[in-house]
Amino acid sequence: MNLLIVLAAIFLAGCATLSPDAGFSDVEQAVTQRTGARTQWVRSEDAANSVQARLKELLLKPIGPPQAVQIALLNNPGLQARYADVGIAEADLVQASRWRGPTFSFARLRRGGETEIERSVFFDVLGLITIPLSVRGEEARFAAAKNRAASEALRVALETRRAWFNAVAARETSRYMEQVKQAAEASAELARRMAEVGNWPKLNQAREQAFYAESTVQLARARQAEASARERLARLMGLWGEDLGFQLPERLPDLPKEPRQLGPDSETQALAQRLDVEAARRDAEALARSLGLTKVSRFVSLLEFGLHRNSETGQPRQRGWEIEIGIPIFDFGTARTARAEALYMQSVSRAAEVAIQARSEVRDAYGSYRTNFDLARHYRDEVIPLRKRISEEMLLRYNGMLASVFELLADSRDQVAAVNAYIEALRDFWLAESDFQMALTGRSPGASTGTTRTAAPAAASGGH
Amino acid sequence: MNTRRRFFGQSAAGLIGAALVSRVGAASLPEAPIRTTPDMAPPLQPSSGRPYSPVVTLNGWSLPWRMNSGWKEFHLVAEPVVRQIAAGMNAHLWGYNGQSPGPTIEVVEGDKVRLFVTNKLPEHTTIHWHGQRLPNGMDGVGGLTQPHIRPGKTFVYEFEAKRPGTFMYHPHADEMVQMAMGMMGFWVTHPKNPKFMPVDRDFVFLLGAFDIEPGSFTPRVNTMLDFNLFAFNTRVFPGIDPLVVRRNDRVRIRVGNLTMTNHPIHLHGHEFEVTGTDGGWTHPSSRWPEVTTDIGVGQMRAIEFIANEPGDWALHCHKSHHTMNAMGHDVPTMIGVDHRGVVEKINRLVPDYMVMGERGMADMGEMEMPLPDNTLPMMTGRGQYGAIEMGGMFTVLKVRDGLARNDYKDPGPYQHPAGTVAFEWTGQLPVAERPAPAAASKMSLKVRKPPAGHAGH
Repeated sequence: MNLLIVLAAIFLAGCATLSPDAGFSDVEQAVTQRTGARTQWVRSEDAANSVQARLKELLLKPIGPPQAVQIALLNNPGLQARYADVGIAEADLVQASRWRGPTFSFARLRRGGETEIERSVFFDVLGLITIPLSVRGEEARFAAAKNRAASEALRVALETRRAWFNAVAARETSRYMEQVKQAAEASAELARRMAEVGNWPKLNQAREQAFYAESTVQLARARQAEASARERLARLMGLWGEDLGFQLPERLPDLPKEPRQLGPDSETQALAQRLDVEAARRDAEALARSLGLTKVSRFVSLLEFGLHRNSETGQPRQRGWEIEIGIPIFDFGTARTARAEALYMQSVSRAAEVAIQARSEVRDAYGSYRTNFDLARHYRDEVIPLRKRISEEMLLRYNGMLASVFELLADSRDQVAAVNAYIEALRDFWLAESDFQMALTGRSPGASTGTTRTAAPAAASGGH
Repeated sequence: MNTRRRFFGQSAAGLIGAALVSRVGAASLPEAPIRTTPDMAPPLQPSSGRPYSPVVTLNGWSLPWRMNSGWKEFHLVAEPVVRQIAAGMNAHLWGYNGQSPGPTIEVVEGDKVRLFVTNKLPEHTTIHWHGQRLPNGMDGVGGLTQPHIRPGKTFVYEFEAKRPGTFMYHPHADEMVQMAMGMMGFWVTHPKNPKFMPVDRDFVFLLGAFDIEPGSFTPRVNTMLDFNLFAFNTRVFPGIDPLVVRRNDRVRIRVGNLTMTNHPIHLHGHEFEVTGTDGGWTHPSSRWPEVTTDIGVGQMRAIEFIANEPGDWALHCHKSHHTMNAMGHDVPTMIGVDHRGVVEKINRLVPDYMVMGERGMADMGEMEMPLPDNTLPMMTGRGQYGAIEMGGMFTVLKVRDGLARNDYKDPGPYQHPAGTVAFEWTGQLPVAERPAPAAASKMSLKVRKPPAGHAGH
């Protein structure tokens, strides 16, 4: 039975077993490579405990962007749900690699006193032959699942990073609004006392009081924006309960000394590293293979091979083998081939589209990165020093009794507003930086939600 | 602009070349001395022409002349200048021969005067000789009595100084701008007879007002009344020279007003009489004693008195804002406003903030706080007993025994004879009975009494 041995060898070669990590290490590697943070599919109590321990450790200190991303990659429950898809896909793959097995048929036929017993064993030879092929299909699906999981992890990482910058900026803004309110409060209080001793009309006092009242509204809005931004970050990091006491730093990281440059190979780098590009490419490859398969098997719809052992009463036993081939008289497989070809061409076009999009996104994200860098730098190097100089000159004027304390306070409010505008510019820079980083190495940043502008009041000056 | 200026420069050279061939000739153009310091120059004793007793220009000088075939020739150059208003502040002005106001011109009744005026300003100008009897064409009203003096050009004015007295000169072309920029000068025509109304010391100065934004240098020429610097000869106290006189000297002070408001000039310790206006000498029978004389816009007054009271006597404009330097006219009054609790809040935002004005503004004279560039403290100057708290149109008449006839050096603070300075009462104070305040004056109940010392700061 040389043939059987050959078949068994084919069978064994195609057989896959479930891996201990369900193929998750690939996801882990892809994510770590692109974010610098570790991710984990929590499937056991031990794993859950170790994640919790790591979490506690991370939550002890103020959380920076890398820590926030790390926590989210370990703890975001939506991400864990997506990771389960990888396990499902692997199970499908293993299932596909198992041979259908032989079928055994037994027939006992009687004709008068004659009994005919027909026994046959059929092997799904074609199934056996196509196992490697369908395994390859399932492998592609498995790879796609891993890609999707990694891509989802990158999305969560990007959004967490963005949420972190938004939260810290919102916090700074609300702190500055607090200062504006204090200045307004001092003005209003002084105005009240001036009116009280008869130095000021009620009109002027009411004006100062009105500004104070408005600044209270602004502060409430800024505080709400801060709370909302913090909640979003907490959601992405999967935190609740007592973990909500996590600390954030007081201020945004400084602007880098020099902006990054858009290298000539940046687009190439994006094509090599981005998961969406890789997925599209793999899709096209898989379809190419299945197109090849369809071409090969277009005439062979079914191939069965059987061993026969027939015995009939009074007759010597019949032995032999049987092969059954469906002859495609009416179906030469042309339609299937055309469909496969069209599917392939579709995937090729899609891959091209994804590649073009990726290249464009790199340029676009860099443009935004660069603009926001220049703006933040302009605020830091021009606007803020100028505002400071104005305040210094204002104080000199106050010293000479050339300007009043109210002008001094109005100016200090303007200065605070300028600092706040700088914070927003700095935040926008870091958001753009995150997007650029993602466009370059991970996935399309456009899929994430846009800049969640905090409801920081416009740099309205003292309104009088 | 550059090309325009160069163009004018070339045409100026052309003009001087042309003048050479004409009546005077470039070689014979008298020199135009330039003065670069704002200090008082000693009186210019006449070296030629008729004798006279020279005047002293407060923080200024008299223009030297030359005699040329019976003509007294002067050369004025109208040009941009930098005038030190007081130590710590320079103003970018227009003036004559390096200073604003320009040099004093002194002539004698009957002198034939020839004045060369060279225009080095960026725009045309003229000079009007305020108060003089002269041919109409020499009166210096641009467009009306003469063509304008274009930049780079030199014009000649010739007339006889007919009437002795006190006069001024200033432009009468774009005069709003040019006077706001400081173009003015004094003119004294001495009587032919030196024995006529002789005095021992004869001071002259012009009143001027400027609006120079704190931290800037150039006056705002469009300001009409809200000036922030009021000056004697474009100097403000404590940058103004004292009027130093010998005890029992007969002193004449001549003041001209080229501002846009009147200035009641007030002298302490003496009565004086107004002996002259720009119209001439007043009749002795019309004079009455004064301690203040109001000098109207465009007017001149000569006052005379015997300085027989030794001491340091204030001489100032009696409009109190005019004895202040730059101040914020929109700054609200902070007197009596309780700052407790508010200061901390403000300090959190403006760390260097200090309460001022809560007890009045005298803090200003006492505290030395950093100010904007090129800005003088609002009230300033120190005397032997403390801050004088004055600026602007304020100076001191210093009457001393035993000075030399021509000695104008500042003799320092007056040494008061024992028992002649106001002193503190250290005895018992009677308790003042006050009626209960009327219900109507709700406000007056809240007037804060000054705290002892500096509590609450």
